[in-house]
Amino acid sequence: MKHPRKAVLAAGVLAVFCLAAAADVLVVKIQSTQIRAQAQFFAPVVAGLKAGDALTQIGVSGAWIQVRTAAGLSGWIHQSAVEVPRYALAAAAGGTRTQATASEAALAGKGFNKQVEENFRTGHAEADYASVDRMLQNKMLWSQLKEFLDQGKLGGGR
Amino acid sequence: MNARSRAARALLLAVLLAAGAACSLIDQGTEILGKAEDAVAKGDKAVKAYGKLRSAFGDFTEEEEYYIGRSVAALILGRYPALNDAALNLYVNKVGNAVALSSERPEIFAGWHFQALDTDEVNAMAAPGGMIFITKGLLKRCPDEESLALILAHEVGHVAARHGLQSIRKANVTEAFTSIGLEAIKTYGPEQLARVTAAFEGVLGDIVGTLVERGYDRKLEYEADESAVLFGCRTGYDPAGLARFLKTMVGDMSAVSGKGWFKTHPAPEQRIDRVQAEIDRLQPVPAPAAVRTQRFKSAVSAVR
Repeated sequence: MKHPRKAVLAAGVLAVFCLAAAADVLVVKIQSTQIRAQAQFFAPVVAGLKAGDALTQIGVSGAWIQVRTAAGLSGWIHQSAVEVPRYALAAAAGGTRTQATASEAALAGKGFNKQVEENFRTGHAEADYASVDRMLQNKMLWSQLKEFLDQGKLGGGR
Repeated sequence: MNARSRAARALLLAVLLAAGAACSLIDQGTEILGKAEDAVAKGDKAVKAYGKLRSAFGDFTEEEEYYIGRSVAALILGRYPALNDAALNLYVNKVGNAVALSSERPEIFAGWHFQALDTDEVNAMAAPGGMIFITKGLLKRCPDEESLALILAHEVGHVAARHGLQSIRKANVTEAFTSIGLEAIKTYGPEQLARVTAAFEGVLGDIVGTLVERGYDRKLEYEADESAVLFGCRTGYDPAGLARFLKTMVGDMSAVSGKGWFKTHPAPEQRIDRVQAEIDRLQPVPAPAAVRTQRFKSAVSAVR
């Protein structure tokens, strides 16, 4: 084989395409999230996920989707955390059944991204990114939120 | 045929079969790789097809919305300094996240974040991607946790329905997608980077201008009020908290200055009736709880 890397890449791409060929493939569209043991927030966490992770849909209950991970773990995820792979949508809209999620990973970081933000920052000293980063560092813990809801006799999506 | 020649024939047959199998495997391998290369080409086609489909504000990805939101937030924080009170910000984050959990987008790219601003101007603003601001001036005027929750739910409503992205002018949306192009590239060359950044700047200008100067279309403001009442009820908050707050704003002298909230939101009188109608429609609704009023007073006492 003259181009072993290319072959491995091509075989990998094919494998992902085969996966996509299976019905009901979803991808995680947010930075990080979890699948849970029941269809509700605050239920025990089964596994952590990150943007671009592929999942197979196996059931639905209201706004919650029952999924299986690539590692074979199953649990529930809120519908706002996942989407149908965008290339599959594009292929369907084009009237072709292109088995396309392989390029899904390539889409991550395309468009308005870190490089564009950094270039914008060089010409805009008035924009206070340090304060934005401080604001985003303060992550609300699920345990804190649950305690707050319980103490205030609130439901909060439960 | 003697035993030796039978063995030789069997061996030859086995070798031929093995070779045949190997050839078949090679053929299959070649076919698989051929299909894979074909799939790559199809994938590239799909990238282009997807790129061509992007034409409206709703076609920005969750990650792009996050990057737009970060810069909108940076421009807001450039105008209004952050109020660095960790306890107050934590409390505002808890109330905000509680109502966001009841929205259509409880899960958003980098999570929901709420920040108090150190200004007496009465205002609240939401950057795309779930970065929400409330001024000290507005916190001072909130009578209770219910009111604060409903005001934050109003801002969550703007983000959940992507109102910020809707305020981008059509020409700037088109330029954004045209400059980004149809290839699946993540690192731009200097020329394309300059064009994409200019498009990014146009997008930010439209959103910040709407949030800070012009305000949303009234239809979107009323829509966010409806969302606030709904998310508040789902969370367990008395939705009348929004009407109570709006009543405190009627005839407020700050309105004369025409700044902040008064400039970018419809007059409170016009909103109260609509909010009340929405509350009537959702009856029965949750009632206020003393435990919440108590913790609200203790959390915001620093700015009062």
